[in-house]
Amino acid sequence: MATYHLQIVTPDRLVYDGMVESLIVRAVDGDVCILANHIDYATPLGIGEAQVTDAEGKTRTAACNGGLLSVQDNQVRLVAITFEWQDEIDLERAKQAEASAAEKLKELERKDRDFAIAEAKLKRAITRIHVKG
Amino acid sequence: MAGSSMKAIKLRIRSVESTMQITKAMQLVATSKLRKAKERMEVSKPYAAISREAIMGAVSSLEDTSLPYLRAREVKKRCYVVIAGERGLAGGYNANVFKAVLAHAEGTPYCVLPLGRKAIEKFERMGIELLNDDYWHVEGLSVTVCYKLAGILTDGYLREDFDEIFLVYTSFQSMMTQEVKTEKLLPIEKTEENKRPVTAVYEPSAEEMLTRVMPDFLAGRLYSACCDAFASEVSARRNAMDSATKNAGEMIANLRLHYNRARQGAITQEITEIVAGAEH
Repeated sequence: MATYHLQIVTPDRLVYDGMVESLIVRAVDGDVCILANHIDYATPLGIGEAQVTDAEGKTRTAACNGGLLSVQDNQVRLVAITFEWQDEIDLERAKQAEASAAEKLKELERKDRDFAIAEAKLKRAITRIHVKG
Repeated sequence: MAGSSMKAIKLRIRSVESTMQITKAMQLVATSKLRKAKERMEVSKPYAAISREAIMGAVSSLEDTSLPYLRAREVKKRCYVVIAGERGLAGGYNANVFKAVLAHAEGTPYCVLPLGRKAIEKFERMGIELLNDDYWHVEGLSVTVCYKLAGILTDGYLREDFDEIFLVYTSFQSMMTQEVKTEKLLPIEKTEENKRPVTAVYEPSAEEMLTRVMPDFLAGRLYSACCDAFASEVSARRNAMDSATKNAGEMIANLRLHYNRARQGAITQEITEIVAGAEH
């Protein structure tokens, strides 16, 4: 299958830099899959599972959070806030984060500024647990 | 008389020696921190470069927009993000950053988002409005904190608390040179490099994308600037301590010379006195 060059970066590291067959990520309005020779494209990302299939056909999953995806001249860049491969996720921590975020959401009103923050935290934790499990 | 000056010189030598021990230790600490700081700076670079490219692509696709991030408005007030050190003894590291801010801000009212204890102290003393009163170490500043700071910046900018945001930090060029840089964070200006025609598809739209991504972009920018600044700080300190140690070594050599001369003088004098006594 045709491959393309993918770079995945977060502020504190270059997570991935290599040739891949496909990439599936959660954009703000649903999953998108990028194959080779995709039209130039850019979109902000939501919180969700990402799947990367490399040139050898091996698929890895990861928890991906925020940032943007950009395709330019068959160069794909995933600029994420956080991006953790399945084997890097700390399940215990994610479970704790889920519990504390859920707790916080109960106390807050929907119009509170902190509500959105806690909600995003909960979403991130759920994604991590889902990717891990 | 000779005896007392010898004692004074000896004391002096001892005090310079203990100072030298401190500067030497600080130099060693800085050297070992430098390696880590440089590594951190290197890994933070791809994000800044790649996200900048992606953002600029979207910016250049917008011909005319009402998006506040891209629209320059009348500047009533500026905001400076100032990254300085935790402590002094790093040559001109902190002073150079402050000088750059003061020169740049001349004539316009401004507020400051300080990073590093020295920056907080400096602007507090000057009575300038500070945007945050918590403070974080620039060393090992976490990405999470950067997001928080980026949130403060974009909120303030959208509320029109200030109309321009500048970032002032020290960029690491090499072990010997660090350069103070002043960069405009917002509004984003169209430059020649991003004026090329763009045919990309933006979902849902380029404006929507920029609105969502701008805080992330700023956070990444802050993070990489902090890594850069910290590497500069450590190498500035290493250089300052290196020359301090060298100076101390020179001083000790000089003082030793004086001490030996005084000792020799005292011996000679004693001999002359004895000889003079024996002749009578």
